[in-house]
Amino acid sequence: MDIQVTQTSGVTLVVPQGDLDMGTADHVKRTLTELIEKGQSKLVMDLSGVSYVDSSGLGALVAAMKQARAVGGNLKLCGLQEDVRSIFEMTRLIKVMAVHSDRQEAVSSW
Amino acid sequence: MTADTLVIMSESEELARVRSWLGEQLARRGVDEHAQSALQVAVGELATNSIKHAYGGRGGQPIHISVTSRDDGVVIHVEDFGRPFDPTTYRQPNLDEMNESGVGLYIVKRLADEFSFDLARERGTRWTLVKYQPGMKPNRTAEQEERGWTSR
Repeated sequence: MDIQVTQTSGVTLVVPQGDLDMGTADHVKRTLTELIEKGQSKLVMDLSGVSYVDSSGLGALVAAMKQARAVGGNLKLCGLQEDVRSIFEMTRLIKVMAVHSDRQEAVSSW
Repeated sequence: MTADTLVIMSESEELARVRSWLGEQLARRGVDEHAQSALQVAVGELATNSIKHAYGGRGGQPIHISVTSRDDGVVIHVEDFGRPFDPTTYRQPNLDEMNESGVGLYIVKRLADEFSFDLARERGTRWTLVKYQPGMKPNRTAEQEERGWTSR
């Protein structure tokens, strides 16, 4: 999975491309953990390039979100495709995670 | 129509191949895209469950996935030959908590119209999913909906 990381307005923007499953969840979690440990805990992940997410992928995002919140930051999400969004709704993560419609809205929410 | 079967090894790199193969199988059986996506997630969760739990992360072990058409929908089997699923250890996840794990089978139950498992075998678990064509799903009791799966 390709993951692009950029800085914008003091927020770290993380943009993965590909499927978020058991095979890629560790890569995503490791990337987010490294950013948080470097002090970049204001995170926005744009999931518009992710068409598939499973429970392993959700677990990686939840773990990173908890880690970021523990140090005063957060992991905010945006750009969820319809099928991906339905998994977040089914597991009710849509209610506990900060989910925005697009990148601009998510970044400016900080 | 006879069953079409894919055999994969118990490695996470195989999951993309499962999704691709399953998508083709379901498309040629006339399953709509929304149901295709749901079943790709459900079957991916079961294959992941086999890799992680039945085989304990050991690679190179077989997982069989088959698709069969019937008049009212499709039936999918996911079968491994490792440690059998133990339903007594399953706990329905508390969705008010932020779960980092333990929601895979819950997702399967939500995505399939019927979900069952067969432990009456020498080794492993055979999971069965049924997805009905629109309007063909039989009525189920509240108790059946709540339980979400059956076993033998």
